[in-house]
Amino acid sequence: MAALEIKQVFKNYGSVQVLKDIDLSIESGEFLILVGPSGCGKSTLMNAIAGLDDITAGSISIAGRDVTRLSPKDRDIAMVFQSYALYPSMTVAENIAFGLEMRKVPKTQHEAEVARVARLLQIDHLLARKPAALSGGQRQRVAMGRALARQPQVYLFDEPLSNLDAKLRVEMRTEIKKLHQRLGTTIVYVTHDQIEAMTLADRIAVMRDGRVQQFGTPQQIYDEPVNLFVAGFMGSPAMNFIRADVTRAGSGYGVAVRTARGEAAVLALPERGAGLGPWLGREVILGLRPEQITHVMPHRRDEPLVATLECTVEVAEPTGPDTLIQIRLNEQDVNARIEPRAQAPVGQAMPLMFDMSKAVLFDPATEARCH
Amino acid sequence: MTETSRLFLGRIALYAALAAWAAFYLAPLAVMLLTSVKTLDDIRTGTLLSWPAALTLEPWLKAWSGACTGIRCEGLAPFMWNSVLITLPAVAISTAIGALNGYVLSKWRFRGSELFFGALLLGCFLPFQVLLIPMAQTLKALGLANTVSGLVLVHVICGLASTTLFFRNYYVGVPDELIRAAKLDGAGFFTIFWRILLPVSTPIIVVCVIWQFTQIWNDFLFGVVYSGLDTQPVTVALNNLVNTSTGVKEYNVDMAAALIAALPTLLVYVLAGKHFVRGLTAGAVKG
Repeated sequence: MAALEIKQVFKNYGSVQVLKDIDLSIESGEFLILVGPSGCGKSTLMNAIAGLDDITAGSISIAGRDVTRLSPKDRDIAMVFQSYALYPSMTVAENIAFGLEMRKVPKTQHEAEVARVARLLQIDHLLARKPAALSGGQRQRVAMGRALARQPQVYLFDEPLSNLDAKLRVEMRTEIKKLHQRLGTTIVYVTHDQIEAMTLADRIAVMRDGRVQQFGTPQQIYDEPVNLFVAGFMGSPAMNFIRADVTRAGSGYGVAVRTARGEAAVLALPERGAGLGPWLGREVILGLRPEQITHVMPHRRDEPLVATLECTVEVAEPTGPDTLIQIRLNEQDVNARIEPRAQAPVGQAMPLMFDMSKAVLFDPATEARCH
Repeated sequence: MTETSRLFLGRIALYAALAAWAAFYLAPLAVMLLTSVKTLDDIRTGTLLSWPAALTLEPWLKAWSGACTGIRCEGLAPFMWNSVLITLPAVAISTAIGALNGYVLSKWRFRGSELFFGALLLGCFLPFQVLLIPMAQTLKALGLANTVSGLVLVHVICGLASTTLFFRNYYVGVPDELIRAAKLDGAGFFTIFWRILLPVSTPIIVVCVIWQFTQIWNDFLFGVVYSGLDTQPVTVALNNLVNTSTGVKEYNVDMAAALIAALPTLLVYVLAGKHFVRGLTAGAVKG
């Protein structure tokens, strides 16, 4: 049985459609991430799941029960807000117990529940404090504690880490992942941070302009993006988009490229689906992630879809574990990720290995995936 | 001249100017205080600001319990009590309703609530004189003419525009996510108000109470129009006391009476003034 099922949900504000035909379904214990740029409708969708916003059409079920017309408190959900929304006049313990109190849970159970949650999140020593006396990370924990105390069917997290500094954000990210693995809870999580989405999710829904662009596992979204938007949004540094013509390459197809030094080459493409017959001789957008263009690794050189080209290093950005270099291909900037020690000085040429096995092609007109 | 000594002279000039202004504003109060402890002879022979020849509390006692306000000669004491009976409930009720109004208008918006708020704001700019006759008819119809309850009702109604404005603007600054969180926790309309919002409302409650207390205590118009002989507030009694002319004009008693009538508002402001400024700016910045 699906823990959360969203069917054909629409939401209009006046004449503006902010959610268009949303269909999503996750199983119990799954971690769903709604990701997209600001204004894509992800927060509206979360509010619709919570019941804080009405939907115009469609239905929402939680644990098999239609909750479309139910008020937030009757949906058996808990939410962690971006601003934490801790009740300022109550202590941490009172904050955590408030939901229990409202649900008429006997007083004797409050303490046990507060203690359990506090232990889980390591906030035992903070229970008597008011929110104003807590640091950002501590408030974040208390906000999660408040959600955990009620043990609802579904947890909703609305950009919970966006108010934390970079280091704490990574720590809390791991913490949330651990918590999810330990408790096996069903979580819906909104973020605009694609790294958060990749690291945390079991399933990702990438949204834009009120529509779900793609719904799948992180690896599917990363390796098999359905359109240019998803491909460009997920992954950092972003996927390279190179305009190139489709040509013959032996018995299959390839794309024609020309380096900054004037060397022309054909990069063979993997065979997939219906093939590229109709695209022969036409321009497509080649999508190639930076890590698929690397320094030459001799043991992989003979793989069928690997090609080597001499390219001029235009810019080099060392990140520590590897170095990002910029080269030019078909007169467009292209990023490559290489071993720091393999880098040639800026302005000089070095051989780069192109792994085309995961290359994807997009239709320049519709921006949809075409290979 | 060195830099420090120039700064020092600048300071002296600054403080001298400030002191002069302060003296200018305090002068009337000083005159009242000095006059209220002088004997009548002293007043006649001395100047306005001259130090009393002999301190006397007689005028204060007379103003409190002996001076004539029209035909009664019981001083201000009974009317002070009237004012208390009018002011305390009127302040409490108008603040409570204002808080609830502000809560609804900021956190439970409904279709047309902004228009409703706009219309309510008009009430802040309405001259109270236009209300006099319809209000008199209403009070008569309700059987509340010339009663303390009638005056309380008038003050509550006329205060609602400002109290609602205060609370609405304050609550607009309280994050909506707090309300949403409470809704998800299962709290209802009144629980959210009582448990979440009211505990953080102290600054604005103080502002509202000071504002309303000053308005209602100092009111003369409604007091003189809607009160009966036994229900006159202290402001009306003060007017009568000063205007009752039987023989000599007792300036010292008049001054003492005026000070007595003004004391409660002064007291409220001194006790809560710090919160007043804080609360006003808190509302103003996020309005």
